[in-house]
Amino acid sequence: MNENKKRKLEKYQRRQRRLRRKAQIRMSETIAIIFIFFVLILFGVIFYYKYSQISNREKQEELLANRAMDAALQSLFLPEVICTKGEAEHEDNCFDIMKLNQAEEVFSKNLNYYFNLFSYAKITVTEVYPGNLTWTIYDKQKVKKVENGTERIWENKENTYYVIALRNDSKIEGQKKYNLGYLEVEVYS
Amino acid sequence: MIAKDKSAHTKKLRFLGVPPNKSAHTKNQRFLVMLRSRKAQMEMIGLVVIVILITLGMLFMATFALKDNDGKKIFTRKGLAYSTISAVMKTTINDPDCSESFSGQVYPQVGKDLIEDCAYYYQDNLVEGDHSLYRCGNKQTCIFLEETISEILNETLGGWNKNYEFKLQLIESLEADPLQIMLIKSGKGGCWKKEKDGSGLFPLHTDQGTVEGELSLCD
Repeated sequence: MNENKKRKLEKYQRRQRRLRRKAQIRMSETIAIIFIFFVLILFGVIFYYKYSQISNREKQEELLANRAMDAALQSLFLPEVICTKGEAEHEDNCFDIMKLNQAEEVFSKNLNYYFNLFSYAKITVTEVYPGNLTWTIYDKQKVKKVENGTERIWENKENTYYVIALRNDSKIEGQKKYNLGYLEVEVYS
Repeated sequence: MIAKDKSAHTKKLRFLGVPPNKSAHTKNQRFLVMLRSRKAQMEMIGLVVIVILITLGMLFMATFALKDNDGKKIFTRKGLAYSTISAVMKTTINDPDCSESFSGQVYPQVGKDLIEDCAYYYQDNLVEGDHSLYRCGNKQTCIFLEETISEILNETLGGWNKNYEFKLQLIESLEADPLQIMLIKSGKGGCWKKEKDGSGLFPLHTDQGTVEGELSLCD
């Protein structure tokens, strides 16, 4: 009777041991799965964070590029500098040198008006053929005051170029003379 | 035959971890077999879900990697090409030698005067001589034009690291093949890249036929 009981007890203990081992294996399986799951979630979070960072930067660059395009187009058709002839239509891609000579003064006197048009930007016209004159008609950069003067604080800059003809009516009477130059529009953010 | 089937079944049960027993066909063991096969199915589904998720993630990444936001680039390339060719055509040559055959000072325009002159004498000059009406820089017009336009493009577009190709073609009649009278390429070897935009054709009507100018830009 006792032996029978003993055998039963041993059998029961063996079974318990086997079950415990099985449970331990299952537990470690579950832990591994949960660990992998959290690792995947962590990867997801890191990926999303990086993606949103890049996406934000791209959005900012896109906005700056759009502003550069707008500013360049606005400056190409500025009545203050574009070539005109009486009441006739203006000439495309052409700036009048005589107007350009006065533009700097006009722009600096009405800086608030032009700031609404161009915001933080720099507009330069450079002659390439035959001479090499330069006109900076608008220049407004983000600056902050420091001890020794001012310091530029813009982060990004976008340049847009257009090649233009520069009409010079001052030299010869009765004949239009066209030089060649380019318009450079820099916008800052 | 039946014995073979039975032994196969026993093997299957062993494989699934069910101890071979005389009463292997009892309800309990059938239930165990079903439970284990269902578990295997569920694990397969889990695996499939993971594969689908990874594939979706990769597709998502690929979409963002391949997304090219070059609307501004195309716009500025086209605008720049058009403005460049338009300005070059308008430019007048600042050289008193150009007009020695005329009385008084004349500043010939690239588009209106010099290209026409080049087209007019181009075929004669292929045979012999270096005739032209204008003698800018004491050179035949086509040669002078090529040098000047090349210099201008190199100073502007070349300075901004743009690849370009400037082409002038003479079309004498509808039947005749276009004759290429000028081809200027950037220092880096013209436009062989994928991202290419052009100014569009700039036709000039001359006595010799129509001269078509085009400037292509690429990044």
